[in-house]
Amino acid sequence: MSEDISQETLHQLALPWLTSLKPGHRFNIFRDTGDYYRIEYGDIVILNNVPYLVRHNAKEGRFGLDDEVKFWVKRAIDLKTGKTKILKLVFYEKFLARVGGIEFECFRSPRKEARILNLVGNHANFMHGFSVPDNQGNIVRIIDLIYGNTLADQVRDMASGMNHETYFYGHFPAILDSFMECVEAIRFLHEHGEKHGDVRRDHIIADRDTGRCRWIDFDYNFQHRENMYGYDLFGLGNVFMYLAGRGDVLIADIIKANSPAALELRDEDMNIVFNNRVANLKKIYPYIPDSLNRILMHFSRGANIFYDNTIQLLDDLNELRSGFAGRQGGIQNGT
Amino acid sequence: MEHDINRNILIAVDESDNSRRAVQYVANILGGVKGFKVTVLHVIREPEEDFFHAEDEKEKWYQDYGRKTDRMLGEYRQLLVDAGFDIEDVSIRKTLRYCPSMAECILAERDSLEYGTLVVGRKGLSHKEEFLFGSISGKIVRTARNCTVWVVE
Repeated sequence: MSEDISQETLHQLALPWLTSLKPGHRFNIFRDTGDYYRIEYGDIVILNNVPYLVRHNAKEGRFGLDDEVKFWVKRAIDLKTGKTKILKLVFYEKFLARVGGIEFECFRSPRKEARILNLVGNHANFMHGFSVPDNQGNIVRIIDLIYGNTLADQVRDMASGMNHETYFYGHFPAILDSFMECVEAIRFLHEHGEKHGDVRRDHIIADRDTGRCRWIDFDYNFQHRENMYGYDLFGLGNVFMYLAGRGDVLIADIIKANSPAALELRDEDMNIVFNNRVANLKKIYPYIPDSLNRILMHFSRGANIFYDNTIQLLDDLNELRSGFAGRQGGIQNGT
Repeated sequence: MEHDINRNILIAVDESDNSRRAVQYVANILGGVKGFKVTVLHVIREPEEDFFHAEDEKEKWYQDYGRKTDRMLGEYRQLLVDAGFDIEDVSIRKTLRYCPSMAECILAERDSLEYGTLVVGRKGLSHKEEFLFGSISGKIVRTARNCTVWVVE
């Protein structure tokens, strides 16, 4: 049942966050979130009788599109609890994604993300939240903010100024543990008939509070062909390649550095989809174990067998992990 | 000792050229030969509920897809009859299934109806397409049991 929330009440609730609020200020109140462009800083969105004070639109830095504003994603304050939340409003889009020259139809699905939020509950390796319909039935996802950097940024920062061998023996085992948790989390989704849909390294946040890596953004979906989970596995392979290489190992950089490895690399050593990335990292870093390189080679152009599921990948990761000494732990604890 | 030979043939099709070639191959090889029964099967992959924004959009999709499937299966049946199959030896079947793996759905159909031979076309995917999305015919070849598989390219 709908409850009216007066302007005066909103004024009192919002005052801690809007210190320059003038007496008599009237908030714009939205119960229908369909036209998300109209919802701006300082507006109120009421969902399930809870008022949310909108702060600003979220931005996403990816693939050179730094600070691309996502108008359908709002950072907001839950005025009943004072907690910061992310409101993901309904934004439908269907488009042709293009990966390695292959096109496939993708679409955004608020319903999928809502379903997965419900499925994962308090699982430590996913973002948390819930969904609620606005007064027009739009499925709004209300998500807890995660404080932290992406796993990729952490790796980049921690390895800055360090040679790969030092990184590999000093930091990689803990990163591997975190990555394996991420793969386990994707396995959990797959076991429940869900795909993540957009597995990439900037969708893993290393939570500053818990030290655990957490998947974000589950609203992408696509019409799969034979293997429903193949695209997720492809994403996991790319993340793993990045972590093992301490970044993307690009053929152009190897040539530029006059590395002798440039003469050793063949077509079959490259990433199966991204032809400028080296998959066969053992040719660049000879000390990495065969058990690691074998995993990487499943994602190479020379692969004649692919992973069908995360269980197969986890089996190989466990074998790799058993070769490293040291306790298992989160990325922050272990480094 | 002579073994019983299962002469029931299942051709799993979609609207692709390679499926048409698979049907044509069976027509060329077995048309006019008595004793074989053929079923042309199309498994309709139940779209994920997320694919539709509204119920009416979903209904329309099912109607349109159903009509398209009926037309396709009818054409394939006629192709086989024209090649010499008796009309009563050619059946068509469409079934709506939730298919995380289409290969597994096709094999489940084969298992339930006990066809001796399963015929599929091969799309000729690139290595990376097969990696990203999987190959139906490839998985059928790897996992089929208790039947013969013909893969027509």
